[in-house]
Amino acid sequence: MKSVVITGATSGIGLETARVLAAQGFFLIGIGRSVENCKRAEKSIFSDYPKAKIKYFTADLIQQREVLRVAGEVQDCLSENCDSALDVLINNAGCVRSWYTTTDEGYEQQFALNHLAAFLLTYKLLPMLKKAKGRIIMTGSKSHKGTKVHWADVMLHKGYNPLKAYKQSKLCNILFARGLNDRFAGVGIRAYVVDPGLVNTDIGNKNTGTLVNLIWTLRKRHGVSPAVPAKNYAFLCECDDPPEGLYYYLCRERSYSRQVTQENADRLFVLSERLCGISYNDLDL
Amino acid sequence: MNVLITGAAGGLGRAFAIECGRRGYRLFLTDVNKDGLMCIRRGLERQFGTTVAAIDCDLTRAKSVDRMLAVIDRYNIRFDMLLNIAGIDFEGGFMGRERENVVNIVALNNAATLRITHAALERRRSGRPFTIVFVSSLASMFPMPLKAVYAASKRFLLDFSISLRQELKDCDVNVLTLCPGGLATTPEALRGIAVQGFWGNATTNSLETVARKTLDLALAGKGLYIPGGLNRLLSLLGKIIPRPLVAAVIYKRWRRAQSRWPTFTAN
Repeated sequence: MKSVVITGATSGIGLETARVLAAQGFFLIGIGRSVENCKRAEKSIFSDYPKAKIKYFTADLIQQREVLRVAGEVQDCLSENCDSALDVLINNAGCVRSWYTTTDEGYEQQFALNHLAAFLLTYKLLPMLKKAKGRIIMTGSKSHKGTKVHWADVMLHKGYNPLKAYKQSKLCNILFARGLNDRFAGVGIRAYVVDPGLVNTDIGNKNTGTLVNLIWTLRKRHGVSPAVPAKNYAFLCECDDPPEGLYYYLCRERSYSRQVTQENADRLFVLSERLCGISYNDLDL
Repeated sequence: MNVLITGAAGGLGRAFAIECGRRGYRLFLTDVNKDGLMCIRRGLERQFGTTVAAIDCDLTRAKSVDRMLAVIDRYNIRFDMLLNIAGIDFEGGFMGRERENVVNIVALNNAATLRITHAALERRRSGRPFTIVFVSSLASMFPMPLKAVYAASKRFLLDFSISLRQELKDCDVNVLTLCPGGLATTPEALRGIAVQGFWGNATTNSLETVARKTLDLALAGKGLYIPGGLNRLLSLLGKIIPRPLVAAVIYKRWRRAQSRWPTFTAN
């Protein structure tokens, strides 16, 4: 049985993607922030597909120790149920913060969740992904265009604004995917970024201030249902031969920022390894 | 620059730790939350490659402080700056809280701050200027019903620090008092700002900017920093308007805000 791990799988794009993949017979491991939301998501998928194989874990991925803890639980679950092989990891969890706020390590929260959490979780699950020649998919955004990584102040300590931080974190998603392909395509692992388009989810309404809340409430009305991008994830999960592209929108390759270079990808990889206290080389794949 | 920061594992203390890390200062961090302290220490080392020492300590207990001081003395660590950030905030009416919780506000915000300030001044690096920052609050400018003990404890810090500044002027010590409005520190604080609506947003200052400017002003020899134009105006009104009237207005506002969110905090 094929297996998939989805972060942020209790609402929005993550939940719809989970539903589609569970329907197609994937062993679904979802990660969500609250026990209550995890239970609700599980129930909702079961009510549609009573035979689905689902397991939800709770973790606040913004904190690195929570990523490490839940990674251990996911590993145990995969070795019990899927012969320690992971077919797909979908790094979907993301957030917007109105104010500059930090994690316990003192890392800016959007950078920490939207990028570093994915970087650390992928590291922990990579051996199991290798076993299945698995795929890694990040939830990106068109907003990654027209920005760059602010190398001198990657946490945007000076001149923080929510959109700037969000755009940069989404550019980091593509750079990370590129970095993974450069390093691990040789062992059969492929990484992709899905551009979901404008989707009607609550991302801008969770823990944000009045202004971001209002703007997003107005904007999300024009968004499509999360079921639309869910098809894109399913497409990337199910193709027998791994698709060649990096960045996908509505199941088609789409052009991405010129900032996505090997040099920038390497630079981000090294920085992220330092910030997470890990080295991908140690995995010895 | 050797800097001692109390309450460094979260909120404003963590913001100061990050700002100092960016500046390449050598840090000695303390907090009652040991796990959080180890996290921020690790994060600062990874992010800035700076030297960070950290010991968990309950500043309200003299013995716990003595233990920390023993380590400081064993390694002969001497300081150029003390950032007194540790503090607690309790919302709600005076009788709506447990007795010891109420007393604890003063135990930490005042008694513990005096204890560590005295200890740090005894351990200043000789022959160098010394800087102390106290975190008072915009709340120190007014009598505040429903935050009565907190506001009074911050008033204590304001008055004490202004006096101390005068006492130590000739010893090359600068004392700065920070009086912020709301700060986006914890999820609870964020919710607290949100339920206050317009006034919440208008009196809230961004954490990283407050940390940066506080250090700039403290090192430039300034004595008082109230972030934000509106907050400065409010503090001025607090001086002009009779205090019983201020109390009546504030009581009305906080009662309304707190009814919308029963367990919120703001600075």
